[in-house]
Amino acid sequence: MKELTLELVEKALEGAERYARDIAGWPCSIAIVDKAGVVIAVHRMDNAPPGTAEIAIEKAWSAVAMEMPTLMLGRFIDPRIVQQHPLGQSGLGIDGTHQGRMCPIYGGIPIREHGTSLGMGVIGGIGTSGCPEAADDNSISQAGFSALYD
Amino acid sequence: MKLTLDMAKAMIHVAQREAQRVGNTCSIAISDENGWLVALHRMDGTPIGTVDIARDKAWTASAFKIPSSDVSKFGDASRPGFGLNPTKWNDHLTTIPGGLPIRDGDKIIGAIGVSGGKPEEDVAVCQATIAAMPTLKE
Repeated sequence: MKELTLELVEKALEGAERYARDIAGWPCSIAIVDKAGVVIAVHRMDNAPPGTAEIAIEKAWSAVAMEMPTLMLGRFIDPRIVQQHPLGQSGLGIDGTHQGRMCPIYGGIPIREHGTSLGMGVIGGIGTSGCPEAADDNSISQAGFSALYD
Repeated sequence: MKLTLDMAKAMIHVAQREAQRVGNTCSIAISDENGWLVALHRMDGTPIGTVDIARDKAWTASAFKIPSSDVSKFGDASRPGFGLNPTKWNDHLTTIPGGLPIRDGDKIIGAIGVSGGKPEEDVAVCQATIAAMPTLKE
């Protein structure tokens, strides 16, 4: 696909919600943004904490802004990893940039055009928030991404 | 009755069809009774700036439990409520028409905000969606 349409996005959200409900077992918020980082659709599942919708949007935005999954951003600022790097090779402080929008929590992944490699062809992003373990957020986002190709 | 995601989705689909019928594209936001976002859709080809406006309209309608266009009447000295301090307005508050509270009986369970067309077109989409609610409940 070259571009995300609302129809495709709804299909992806449907898949992500199914994963969240049946496999992860937590009510979540899931957001999908386009390549401008602007929301195409957000869904907050019943009983998901109200603040999660905003976090899901920020995760999706961050994934588009940096063209990488937010778990990579998390590695840049993980103190256990940062101290193993030479001076200057860390991303400490990245979470305060863009007026605080940059979100280095697991759960946001960029959506790439089919067949493109790292750093190319980002057409949008998907972000999830609501699971107590952020790795589950990431799995839900991936489920949403997969559902684009169902 | 609580506003569920399924209901919000159904309402957004009604709003999308209504907007398409008059040849518009728009962003549609549904918030719960406390102003928190429940669902938001931006139709294909809608300007990106409409997303935040739709959210803000829904928030305003939820927060004051009146249509967003009525908020400006707080500034009219001949009406009750005059004196709302504009410097205390937050980033979400808007007076643009197109945000309406969603009622269940006499209780307000949420709000809908639409942005994309002329203000009166946005209001028409909101009204059509709320009018279609009884058919969505079951």
